[in-house]
Amino acid sequence: MSIEVSGGIRGLTDPVIAAQILAAIPDKPLETQRKMNYFMTPRGKRINEYEVLCCYTQPTPDWIPGGLDWGDWTQKFHGGRPSWSNESTEMRSSDWLKHRDPAFRWHALYVKDKAEEWRYTDRFLKAYSADGMVRSMDPVWRDEVLGDYLGAFGFSEYGLFNSHSSVVRDCLGDTLRMSSAMIGLDKVDNAQMIQMERTFLAKLVPGFPESTDIPKNEWTKGTIFKGSREIVQKIWQETYDWNEILFSGHMIYDPLFGQFVRREFFSRLSSYYGDTLTPFFINQMQLYFSQTKGITTDMFHTCLAADVQFGTYNKRLMHVWADKWMPGTITALKDFMAIFAKLPEIKGVTDKSAIESALNRVFDDWKHDFADPIGYKVDTATLIKTVLSGLK
Amino acid sequence: MAISAATKAATDALAVNRAPVSVGAQEVHRWMQSFTWDFEKNRTKYSTKYKMANDTKEQFKLIAKEYARMESVKDERQFGSLQDVLTRVDAANRVHPKWNESMKVISNFLEVGEYNAIAATGMLWDSATAPEQKNGYLGQVLDEIRHTNQCGYINYYFAKQGQDAAGHNDARRTRAIGPLWKGMKRVFSDGFISGDAVECSINLQLVGEACFTNPLIVAVTEWASANGDEMTPTVFLSIETDELRHMANGYQTVVSIANDEASSKYLNTDLNNAFWTQQKYFTPVLGMMFEYGSHFKVEPWVKTWNRWVYEDWGGIWIGRLGKYGVQSPASLRDAKKDAYWAHHDLFLIAYALWPTGFFRLTLPTAEEAEWYETNYPGWYDMYGKVYEEWRARGCEDPNSGFLPLQWFIENNHPIYIDRVSQVPFCPSYCKGASNLRVLEYNGKKHSFSDQWGERMWLSEPERYECQNIWEQYEGRELSEVIAEGHGVRSDGKTLISQPHTNKDGKLWTLDDIKKIGCVFADPLKAL
Ligand SMILES: [Fe+2]
Ligand SMILES: [Fe+2]
Repeated sequence: MSIEVSGGIRGLTDPVIAAQILAAIPDKPLETQRKMNYFMTPRGKRINEYEVLCCYTQPTPDWIPGGLDWGDWTQKFHGGRPSWSNESTEMRSSDWLKHRDPAFRWHALYVKDKAEEWRYTDRFLKAYSADGMVRSMDPVWRDEVLGDYLGAFGFSEYGLFNSHSSVVRDCLGDTLRMSSAMIGLDKVDNAQMIQMERTFLAKLVPGFPESTDIPKNEWTKGTIFKGSREIVQKIWQETYDWNEILFSGHMIYDPLFGQFVRREFFSRLSSYYGDTLTPFFINQMQLYFSQTKGITTDMFHTCLAADVQFGTYNKRLMHVWADKWMPGTITALKDFMAIFAKLPEIKGVTDKSAIESALNRVFDDWKHDFADPIGYKVDTATLIKTVLSGLK
Repeated sequence: MAISAATKAATDALAVNRAPVSVGAQEVHRWMQSFTWDFEKNRTKYSTKYKMANDTKEQFKLIAKEYARMESVKDERQFGSLQDVLTRVDAANRVHPKWNESMKVISNFLEVGEYNAIAATGMLWDSATAPEQKNGYLGQVLDEIRHTNQCGYINYYFAKQGQDAAGHNDARRTRAIGPLWKGMKRVFSDGFISGDAVECSINLQLVGEACFTNPLIVAVTEWASANGDEMTPTVFLSIETDELRHMANGYQTVVSIANDEASSKYLNTDLNNAFWTQQKYFTPVLGMMFEYGSHFKVEPWVKTWNRWVYEDWGGIWIGRLGKYGVQSPASLRDAKKDAYWAHHDLFLIAYALWPTGFFRLTLPTAEEAEWYETNYPGWYDMYGKVYEEWRARGCEDPNSGFLPLQWFIENNHPIYIDRVSQVPFCPSYCKGASNLRVLEYNGKKHSFSDQWGERMWLSEPERYECQNIWEQYEGRELSEVIAEGHGVRSDGKTLISQPHTNKDGKLWTLDDIKKIGCVFADPLKAL
């Protein structure tokens, strides 16, 4: 027969071709090492599938620590700036390819989880509406707090989302790049879920405005989110160091401001106002928060702070960055305190002592999970006092 | 705001009518465009000479969760096939050995392109101003992570289940040894991420994806299938389902800059450079992979090329962009000439340098020689004869002491490397359009093989100064270079690369290479 085959003939199923192929195949495999990436150091005992599919996908030259490739870039920016370079961050590492998502999620696992969340969201919304649960919601809470302020908070999530674009372009490692894209996507998902909740409410409650106009006005011109808006803009557009973007967003601003707003404000208070809808969405955001925290603490604590060669330097730099980003975050929280004056008061829930307890939870968590591991000294009591001074 | 006037009415209505309601992805997406806001420093971190419009729309209208749902459905199908039926029928051991080798390169090199496309689309997400456009790029960022993982999965699968794991299992380390790697980086790595953001989009989407994705991802599945490989079609066709959105992103990028009058000054030059850059590597390399890396042939590469590159892309796709001032690249005609012989020229060099690969190569058999001569009249006199001579001198046999590279040296046919594309060429023994140009810059000599690359160099030499493998390996002995690049199998001595796929043939070791005493020399030094 001819060696040219056409018309969709398949070597696996065409008996004549299949026989020829089988005859050419060696009697036993030529190589016994069947583990892909066998040369790498796994995070755990064995190289897992995530490490096989993600690690060393980046063509990193050896002068970027951790790289296996050699030589220069074959095309550079106009003027000769390199494709990727150590100068893109003030952080130092002896291995930029060391980071792992603690959940070992490669793309398929990441989208599988989110797809399940989407399907469940769809079923939940149908059940919620069929059950008429929106009837129990306090109208002020619903129309003013969810309509305006939850909507406005969506812009904080959207701005943080966009801060990941340059990280995805500039960062120096493959697992770093994939993780950064995933935690970025989670942030836009949060912003979209907020709008989804508002659209859903508009379908159930005649007169509830679905448009983003009012929340956007609140975000850009209002006072409650002024501090938040200013710091988000700085993280998104004024910060060029990709590590600093991740650090300021995920190690300072979001675990303090974001956590307070999502967990201690919307999630904690909603049930008091008869709202069982918002916690459904916030819980998903909190899941993303905890997954993101796993990722960024791996980047900054497990890898950079513990780096044998540069750990001490890196920790000092993290202290400098914490000093730099803390005041803006405190201002954001302080500005946000004005929101409590808009709420129908509930004793023991929305009064000063309850707010203080909530702030304590957030700051204690932050100190324990983010500050202590890098030896950052922080007087949380003073910070909380400053924040509380924003109460109207 | 005021409390909804209709609250009570709504409550009353809900008491009797509680129809299940949900929210669709598009109902959320329609608000996307309003998610951004103006502020003083809201601008991209990556400068571009083009102006992207603020109101650019995106046609696929995905939100994060819907994206995930769609992709996970495709994943279930794809990984289900691989892990279930294909494994049960032992499909990896029913692939022609030559094709098993080609997939070491194809899958890994495509992985590099996919990987760099993550960073490239990150940059475009940054430089787009319209939220819908940003969202389109975000989807692509995630897709490219998917594709990176999928390409890796092919090598992973072949390593775990197939007939020769070496090279599949360590391509990410051993790929850097040989002569095809640097050119790969130019087209699939740096070309996507280093430069004006829109120029990178043109490289990635308008040319890389819209032009070469079809031959690279679709045609390859036909060649794979003909040679018994059903894993590659399973994965690559699933990749391809995402590419439509990427081409649309590229299209939208052109639309987004089209309103700016100044863009017409640069667009066609950037497109011409991007096309030449991409084709300079892919035209010969893909043709070589298909025709020389398979046993069963689907059709001559020149036909595939004419259909996908010349007619579909150069004609129809670029034609659609005509209303935005986009013209067919001036270099398309030269490329068309190259599509006939360039891959034959390249294989001659690639085979001569076989020890630096991470795969086994095979000399054309008599049947194949006939096929080449039929489809490319004149093939035998130029190439067939040489392969016969090499075979007669024992190039496949480790005891022969003969490497085909010696033939080039004996016959005074120096192999140069084009500085801009990093593609090797032999100006004194080729049928393609390569001819040698040498320029001096910064006290160093630089060789070029065509006018289009030379032009790029002349206007911006600082972008293309990368040293080539001759400069890197100069003065070093071949077996030393291979050992340093980890080009050996798990027994510590047998080479991963081999000059044959004959199942009874002897395998070359580092010692066999060492005995020959081949030392790298930079031909530019001799000029
Ligand atoms: Fe892709
Ligand atoms: Fe793509």
